[in-house]
Amino acid sequence: MTIQESIPEPTNPIAMDGIEFIEYATSQPQAFGALLQKMGFSAVARHRSREVMLYRQGAMNVIVNSHPDALPGLAAPVETPMLAAMAFRVRDASQAYRHSLDCGAWEMPTRASAMELNIPGIHGVGDSLIYFVDRYRDFSIYDVDFVPLPGAAPRPPALAGLHWFGVVQAILNDRTNDWVDFYRTLFGFTILPEGKYFGVLPKGTLLESPCHTFYLQLIEPPPGAEDIHWDEGLVRVGLGAPDVRAAVRALKERGIVFIDHGAVQPTEKGALTQVYQGAVTFELVVSHLKP
Amino acid sequence: MDTATLAGPLEARLSAVRAAGFSHVVLNASEIASHPGGEQAAAAAVRASGLHVCGVQVLRDFEGLSGHLHDYKVDVAKAMLRMCRAVGSELLVAWSSTSNHASGDAAALVRDLRKLATLALPLGIRIGYEALSWGRHVDAYPKAAQLVDEADRANLGLVLDSFHVLAARTALDELDYVDSRKIFLVQLSDFLWHEARSAEERGEAGRHARVFPGEGVHSAELADFIRRLDEMGYRGDYSFEVFNDDYLQLPPATVAGRALKSAKWAIDHVSRRSLPLRRPDARRAT
Repeated sequence: MTIQESIPEPTNPIAMDGIEFIEYATSQPQAFGALLQKMGFSAVARHRSREVMLYRQGAMNVIVNSHPDALPGLAAPVETPMLAAMAFRVRDASQAYRHSLDCGAWEMPTRASAMELNIPGIHGVGDSLIYFVDRYRDFSIYDVDFVPLPGAAPRPPALAGLHWFGVVQAILNDRTNDWVDFYRTLFGFTILPEGKYFGVLPKGTLLESPCHTFYLQLIEPPPGAEDIHWDEGLVRVGLGAPDVRAAVRALKERGIVFIDHGAVQPTEKGALTQVYQGAVTFELVVSHLKP
Repeated sequence: MDTATLAGPLEARLSAVRAAGFSHVVLNASEIASHPGGEQAAAAAVRASGLHVCGVQVLRDFEGLSGHLHDYKVDVAKAMLRMCRAVGSELLVAWSSTSNHASGDAAALVRDLRKLATLALPLGIRIGYEALSWGRHVDAYPKAAQLVDEADRANLGLVLDSFHVLAARTALDELDYVDSRKIFLVQLSDFLWHEARSAEERGEAGRHARVFPGEGVHSAELADFIRRLDEMGYRGDYSFEVFNDDYLQLPPATVAGRALKSAKWAIDHVSRRSLPLRRPDARRAT
């Protein structure tokens, strides 16, 4: 006799444990690095052989990749910094990779990796990649590939308690359900009830990570935006702050300009920076997520 | 129109379709692959034609395989999805498997259809799953609809082909259980035989002896089919899926002209969409 029972899908199929790093690609790494420093990040290490820098504050790592093959499908990074990849912390990177391919993800081109370590990854939205990193506790991926900058503090503290809150993804019309399927199937993201938003940009669809440490926000073009050039891709990171007003004050002192009129002016819920270097914005969101 | 109905180089087929007055076209992967200038030249020809590509076919025998056969088909599917992207098609048609190596286990079929949908997803392509009436395990649209329903993926839906429905005499009442939003494309054709009882006969008629709607012997059933789709709320594309050996020996313009005549037949006999005030009459007529 066989017993058939309905076995539920695991709620966290790749044992995700947050964001390990966010990668930007740009041909102007110094200008972008200066912007990151204004945002509270410090340059902490340089890649041994590639034009790649590591910036850090608190638990947040940002990779700035200006190597000529930084972007899959494109010849080289352009001046405008692009959000090129999200790296998820997982228990077992190769298991996460196999699971993703079994579900129908596309393996990333190996040349595109910012690292020389074999960090597995898949294609995400647009030209972006999703990496899986399992070395993030005692031994980090940066120990192998990066050389610390002389005199730089290896673990600079976060400004005003900033931490990863989420990533905003632009999608084409009627594509919300597709991308919800993607993140739900591959990684176990769950959709938040309609109307539940954080911050000052309450639109689109919010997905919560299975580890409950960050969110993805899917945004279709707004009505009447037919003339706007709207491609699919990662567009912005959201930084959580326990006290948004204090974080805004601290960042303003460092020279960051926030949009201060209309619907997105800074409140205790959130704030949005002006557009830097052609396309880059940062969003602050009130958050007590543990960094 | 479907370019597989026409003879000649891709450019000549597209030109005949356009000249006959059609605005949409279904392309076949083989004609993109066999273009003397390669895939890029084929894509350029399609763009230059100004025709909207409402689908590319066909991915065969994808679901139900395992091991190296499955891996091989995943590679084929990926290459076809790239072709879809190159020619601007948002739909890849996948025929139900005819392979002797394919499992009929519903869970395996659902798993593979989900995987195919996920492969297509980042490229912005939808998968239209079509039941061939000579399919090994899935040989009628209700079975395909059940799998699509169970797979539950936004970019996975059905392609309905009137030939398979008519030839296998699948009950149209089953359409009542299909969500019209999950029908991604409807393909229309008739054939000249009154009956095609066996899978072999259906295969023979389906591959070589289809004709345009209005030219065959199942006009009443075909009209009923389209009318039901209209009434259930289907508002997607229709395409003529006519595989006919004779038409491949005729000038494309001649065959495209027959297609245009068929489109007029369809409008005269079944479409009420442009005449919403006559909708109550249409209901009585059924």
